[in-house]
Amino acid sequence: MPHDNDRTGTRPGIDRRRFLTGAGALAAAGWIGGVAGGWVLRPRWAHAAGPIKMGIATDITGPIAPSGNADWQVAQFTVEQINEAGGILGRPIELFLEDTASDPRIAVGNVRRLIQTHRVDVVLGAITSAMRQAIKDPIVNRGRTLYIYPQLYEGQECTKYLFCTGPTPAQQVDNLIPYLIKEKGRKRFAMPAANYVWPQLLNKYTRRVIEANGGEVVFEEYYPLDQAEYSATMGKIRDGRVDCVFNTVIPPGLQPFMKQLYESGFQREGGIVTCVYYDEGLLNYHPPQEMDGLYSCLDYFQAVDDPFSRQLQEGYAKKFPQTKYLFSAGSASTGMYRGIKLYEAAVKETGGKLGREEVAAAFDHAKIAQGPGGGAEMVPGKMHCRMNMYIAVCRVEGGKPHYDVIRRYDMVDPKEC
Amino acid sequence: MSRATPTGTASAVPAFRVVVARRRVPVLLLIELLVALVLLVVPFALAERIELITLMTNVLILSMLAISFDLCWGYSGIMSFGQAFFFGVSGYVVALVGRDLAFSQIWGTLPLAMLIGLVLALLFALFLLLGRRTPTPIFVALGTLTGSYAAERLVSGWRYVGAGNGLSSVKLLQAGSYEFVEGVPFYLLVLGLLAVVYLGARVLVRSQFGLVLAGLRQNEDRLAFFGYHVQLFKAAVFAVAGAIAGLSGALYAYHQGFIGPGNMGPALSTIVVIYALLGGAGTLVGPVLGTAFIEILSYWLADIDVIKPVWPIVLGLVLLLVVTFQPSGLLGMLVSTRERIGSYGRRGRA
Repeated sequence: MPHDNDRTGTRPGIDRRRFLTGAGALAAAGWIGGVAGGWVLRPRWAHAAGPIKMGIATDITGPIAPSGNADWQVAQFTVEQINEAGGILGRPIELFLEDTASDPRIAVGNVRRLIQTHRVDVVLGAITSAMRQAIKDPIVNRGRTLYIYPQLYEGQECTKYLFCTGPTPAQQVDNLIPYLIKEKGRKRFAMPAANYVWPQLLNKYTRRVIEANGGEVVFEEYYPLDQAEYSATMGKIRDGRVDCVFNTVIPPGLQPFMKQLYESGFQREGGIVTCVYYDEGLLNYHPPQEMDGLYSCLDYFQAVDDPFSRQLQEGYAKKFPQTKYLFSAGSASTGMYRGIKLYEAAVKETGGKLGREEVAAAFDHAKIAQGPGGGAEMVPGKMHCRMNMYIAVCRVEGGKPHYDVIRRYDMVDPKEC
Repeated sequence: MSRATPTGTASAVPAFRVVVARRRVPVLLLIELLVALVLLVVPFALAERIELITLMTNVLILSMLAISFDLCWGYSGIMSFGQAFFFGVSGYVVALVGRDLAFSQIWGTLPLAMLIGLVLALLFALFLLLGRRTPTPIFVALGTLTGSYAAERLVSGWRYVGAGNGLSSVKLLQAGSYEFVEGVPFYLLVLGLLAVVYLGARVLVRSQFGLVLAGLRQNEDRLAFFGYHVQLFKAAVFAVAGAIAGLSGALYAYHQGFIGPGNMGPALSTIVVIYALLGGAGTLVGPVLGTAFIEILSYWLADIDVIKPVWPIVLGLVLLLVVTFQPSGLLGMLVSTRERIGSYGRRGRA
């Protein structure tokens, strides 16, 4: 992990942090890592009213760590940009990180430290829905703090003071399914899925969209997350004359699934695979031939030809050269960027007031003009935001897979709450 | 003194008097009072540091669990690896009652949690202690260990109780319309309950009932020979300990706002053993000190990345060292064995 070098500092924190405040003024980066319960990133300059405290609660360790680390890096990158541009109304943002460790039991204790020890003004984070469910109570209810959830998810989270900045099922499939049916001539869908809440609710929604557009769901099946043997599924796909697989199998079952699907000849015979969480991070997860022709629908792809998005990628690559944690949509990184910038917009509107009521009232209709894949705006009273959505297809050239963006939809409605 | 006189029987009387005449300093009592004092001062001293109040509330809740283990092992010779099971089940039940029945009134759920702990422990006892054959401590240890392991596996695959994710957003504990969030009121509530549990346990182990326990700890066969139904006594203690563990589990779920499979498995059961053995089993206050020691240390050390991965190993080594070199725990260094076991009946009676 790239930031491990920075994390070797030890407790007790106060003295070390003081020391680092001094040292940091000299540091070219202008950022300081101090360790006092989690990790702190302090801005170089100060403001009389003190910094705005922002807590990041994400999975730095455990199975979800690749996404969690991408989120953390994007948070650092975004906050650094804001601070370098003069902060929010002159006040810099101080970042606090707590590791949710891909484990809700550990997470509830650690997240509480953001609230109780650091008294942050807002918390952003969580990748999985299980994690969001676990930490929203300590943040929103017990902690009386604003919470922003950045990941694409199954929808139906309508908690007051909890804002979602990732795509919802409506945003991911409302355009994708009609595209596949009307323009690609797909009729018979299969829905192989991992057995947990996201596929269950996403499939429920997608099935309605498929049927409303004249398609048919041949089967909807749920497998244990670590299932490695799918020959029965392949039989059903063949016998049911399925022409489109809407896949929500996730790792570790994903690799054998895609391999067996490819080997069954599904794609060769003209079948289409679509999977709405596939981003650049998964491009090299399978051999290229298995990826060829796969459709995804997300709020951002690196192939999106937009000057601002490209500028973001360049800045990110400069701050984290050679990082393996990409600034991509599937890891919640784009939602993280959006969440921080929408928060900035909301605080600007309150005139710097950080009270939960005031910020939430402003956040409710906050807007940003630019971001990865374009701007975003909260739908008032709905806790979710409109954003641009893109359909992309994976192409392989010279043995290297990449996404081609083939459709863009402006300001798609989240249709939640 | 008495050794000098040649005849043993004649010397017995003066020797006894010497012991009685020398007033011993009640070290254990002093420690108990000191601990009580510190725990009373904590909320006032730390009122501004809410995270430390939270930590200390957690220590008190887990202390209850440690006391329940101490009643089993320290006083009755039951090596129970099942305390986390009673703890976890009660925690799950109050979380579910809050979720599905929207009920979390203190007068209803806490007694319910104790009842669940009591009944579950009785069922365990029926199977493990009151069977046809006299159980060995190993049999009981493995039986309780298996039980809590099976329970952990079971809930981690059961959708209704949140499966591997556990239950989060537990409804806050209520008294009327007042809601207990983490903080000084919750701390004082737990402290009060801990005091009741502690005093209750103390009266129990110092009573005639406790005398029987002391006897069966020393020589179970002899007590059985005297006509005591030894296993019944053990079952009774086990049930009481189960009720205490249940109370502790419910408080934990309310306080953390979370209960998961990890809160009912062998891992927690083992840590409870360490709390008690480190502090000093068979003293009641020892387990409280052991809990505080380990939990506070964990809180400090948790941030040091170098230590984090090896922390369980450190705990294991601590247990090994204690068992090998200081079986009576930290308190054993301060408190004499005589005081630890206690005396029964009126002083001075021959």
